[in-house]
Amino acid sequence: MIQLLANWILSFDILSGMGNSVAWGLSLFIVAALIFAFVAVNAIVLVYIERKVSAFMQVRLGPMRVGKFGTLQTVADALKLLQKEDIIPRSADKVLFIIGPWVILVASVVTFAAIPFSDTWLAANMNIGLFYVVSISSIVVLGIVMAGWASNNKWSLYGAMRSAAQIISYEIPVGITLIAVVAVVGSLNLQTIIQEQAGTGNLFHWIPIPLPNWFIFHSPFLFIAAFVYLIGATAEINRTPFDIPESESELVAGFMTEFSGLRWALFFLSEYANATLVAFLVSIVFLGGWQSPFADYQGTQIGFSIITLVAIMWTLFVRAKTGRLSVYPLGLSLVITISAWLFPGFAIWMASPGIFWMLMKAGSIIFMLMWFRWTFPRLRVDQLMYVSWKVILPLSLINLMGVAIWMWLTGEIQF
Amino acid sequence: MGRLHAEEMVLNMGPQHPSTHGVLRLKLRTDGEIVSHIEPVIGYLHRSFEKHAENLEYQMITPFTGRCDYLAAMGSEHGYAMAVEKMMAIELPERVEYLRVIFAELQRIASHLVAVGTFGLDVGAITPFIYCFRERELILDLFEMASGARLLYNYIWIGGLAHDVPPGFVEKTYEFLDAFDERVAEYNQILTGNKIFIERAADIGVMTPEVAINYGVTGPSLRASGVNIDIRRTEPYSIYDRFDFDVPLGQGLQGTIGDSWDRYYVRVLEMGESAKIIRQALDQLPVEGDVKSAIPRRIRPPKGEIYFRSENPRGELGYYIVSNGKNVPVRLKMRSPAFSNLSVINEIGQGWMISDVIAILGSLDIVLGEIDR
Repeated sequence: MIQLLANWILSFDILSGMGNSVAWGLSLFIVAALIFAFVAVNAIVLVYIERKVSAFMQVRLGPMRVGKFGTLQTVADALKLLQKEDIIPRSADKVLFIIGPWVILVASVVTFAAIPFSDTWLAANMNIGLFYVVSISSIVVLGIVMAGWASNNKWSLYGAMRSAAQIISYEIPVGITLIAVVAVVGSLNLQTIIQEQAGTGNLFHWIPIPLPNWFIFHSPFLFIAAFVYLIGATAEINRTPFDIPESESELVAGFMTEFSGLRWALFFLSEYANATLVAFLVSIVFLGGWQSPFADYQGTQIGFSIITLVAIMWTLFVRAKTGRLSVYPLGLSLVITISAWLFPGFAIWMASPGIFWMLMKAGSIIFMLMWFRWTFPRLRVDQLMYVSWKVILPLSLINLMGVAIWMWLTGEIQF
Repeated sequence: MGRLHAEEMVLNMGPQHPSTHGVLRLKLRTDGEIVSHIEPVIGYLHRSFEKHAENLEYQMITPFTGRCDYLAAMGSEHGYAMAVEKMMAIELPERVEYLRVIFAELQRIASHLVAVGTFGLDVGAITPFIYCFRERELILDLFEMASGARLLYNYIWIGGLAHDVPPGFVEKTYEFLDAFDERVAEYNQILTGNKIFIERAADIGVMTPEVAINYGVTGPSLRASGVNIDIRRTEPYSIYDRFDFDVPLGQGLQGTIGDSWDRYYVRVLEMGESAKIIRQALDQLPVEGDVKSAIPRRIRPPKGEIYFRSENPRGELGYYIVSNGKNVPVRLKMRSPAFSNLSVINEIGQGWMISDVIAILGSLDIVLGEIDR
C-alpha cells in the first residue's frame, strides 16, 4: 500500500520531481497516520457502542444527552481527558511512569501495520505477518509492568504482576492455536492465509453442507481451535471474564490506579485497539478475513434466505420461552433478504470480497467480547492459571496434532 | 548472593475501595495473593448514634435508627418502635401491625436485592446488579408512595405509623409481587447458576455452625451455615406467628454448607419467602383502622430496662433501652447484626486469596452505617 501510494503521489506532475525515496517516506507517514487515526476513531466509536450495548443488556438507555442518542458522548469524554491535570505521584518512578502508557499504546497500534483490511488495503505485506502481530502485541506486557511498578502503589503492583503472569500464560496456547492454522496454510503471511480461504466447500471436508472455505469449517480441530483462540485472546487482552489485572472490585483499577487524564486515555485507547486486533485476527485466521461468505449473487440470495429462516425460528423460540417478541434480528435479515432478491446489484456487491466483510466479521467478534463482559463474573487468578495451563494448553496441543493427522487423512499433505 | 529476602506485605484495603461496602478498612497481611490475616478497622462512619439517643426524646430517635442501617431503615424503625411500645405496653391496631409487616418485608426484599446485586459486583458480574436495582426501584416507589421518602423514611412511629398508606398502594404492591417472582428466576439464570460464579463462590469462606455461633453471627449468614434461627419464627414478634413461611437454610447445593454461595442463595430464597409473607399480609389486611390512634401523647416509658430483638435483613437487631421514667432514655444500646457478622471475617477469610476475601466480605452483606453507628 505504501508503494502504491508513493506511485500515486509521483503520478502528479507537480509532485513528480520529489524523487522516489522522498515520496516513499511521505507515503510511510501518511499510512502511519491513517493507521493511528483508525485506532483512535475506532476506540471512540467502540466505547460508544460498548456503553450502548451494556446499557441495552442492563435495561438502561446509556448515554443520551451529548449529541443525538449520545453519539458525541465519547468525543466529549476524550476532550475532557485531554484537559485534565497531569498528575504524577511524588513517589512514582517518573521516567517509567511517563513511558509506560506509551509503550503499551505503541505496541498495540504498531500491530495494525500487518493487518490486511482488504486485498489491497494493507500497510506492510510481510511474509511473517502472523508472527509479527503475535510478537509485537506481547510487548504490551512490558508497558503494563512498567506502569504498575512505576506507580509505587501496592494495588498497581498486584495488577501488574497478575497481568504479567496472565499474558505470558495465555500467549503460549494462543500461539500454538495459531500454529495449527499455519500448519494448514504453510505460510505466516496474513494475506496468503486469507486467500487460502476463498471459495466454498464441504463442512469438515466430508460432511456435504456447503459452507465457505473458512478455516473454522476446515476440520473439527480447527473448529475447536477457533474457540480456544477466542478464549485465550480474551484473556490476553484482559477483558472480562479474564480482566483480573484491572479487576475493578478487587484491585481498584489495577495497574491503572494512579493514572489520570491523557495517560489513562492511552491505556483506554490501547485496550480497545487490542480488542479490535483480536477481532481482526479471529476473522483473518478463522473466518476468511475480507472474503465474502457467498460464492456469487445466487449464493447471497440463498444464504440470506437460510439466515432469515433461522431468524424466524429463533424469534418463535424466544417467544415461546420468554413470551417476548424480539423483532430486530428478524427484521434486519428480512430486509437484507428481500433486497438481495429484488436487487441483483446489491446481491453481487454482498458477494464480492472487501473491507465490508472484514469489518462485519471483526464487529461481530467485538460484539461477542462485549457480550462476555456484561454477562460473566470474573475468574479468580488461580482459576485463570488453571484454565490456561491445564485446559487450554493441552487442548491446543491436541488440536495441533489433530490438524496434522486430519490433513494426512484428507490427503492435503503427504509424507 | 544470599537468600532472596521475602516478607509478608501489609495491604491496606479501604476506607476508599470499591468493594468494602462503604468506608470499611481492612488491614490485610498478604503473602503474594494469599491473605494470612485480616484486621477490620472500623469507625469511619461513626456518628454517635447512641450518645445522641441519650439526649433526644423517644420519638426523635426514630429517624436516627433509620440512618444506622440505611439499606433497611424500615426494619430498624420497626424494631425500635416495638421496643418502646413493649416498655409502655401499647396495644396496636391490627392495620398498623399488618402494614408494618408489609413494609418490613418489602424492606427485606430491597435490602437483599442490594446484597445479591453487590455480591455479583464483588465477583465481577455487573449486569445482575443493575437488574436487582431495577426491582429495588419499584419497592422504593412503594415506600415513596407511603412515606414520601425513598431511603430514610421516619414512617414507623412509636404506637403507629406516620400516616396511612395512600389509595392504590395495595394494588401496586400486588402488581410488584406478581412481577417479582419472574424476576428472581432471571437472577438465577444470569448469576446463581453461572459456572464462573459458582467457581468463585462455592466452597469459599466456609463458616461452620460452631464458628458462626461463637462469633455471634446472625441472620441469613447464620442460616446459610445450617443453623435454623430466625427470630420471626423462634420468638415471633409483631404478628409474624400468623404467617406461613419457610426459613431457608444453607444446604451446600454447590459445595459445603456455609460457603459464600450458600450465603448468597439463602438471601435469594428469603426474598421469595418475604414475598409470600407480604402476599398473605395484603390478603388479611384490615380495611378499617386509624393508624395513629395508638400513638401516645407523651412518650415516657416507665422506669426499667428492656432488650428487644427483631429480625433485620442482616440479622438480629437488638435495642437495649434503659429508662428512668423521663422522656429521654438514659441509655440506648443498639446490637447491630452487621457488627458481629463482620467480626468473623478474619476467621473465615484467612488463607484465601485477595479476590476471595472480597467475595467473602460481600457474602456477609455488611452496612457500615450500622457497624459504626
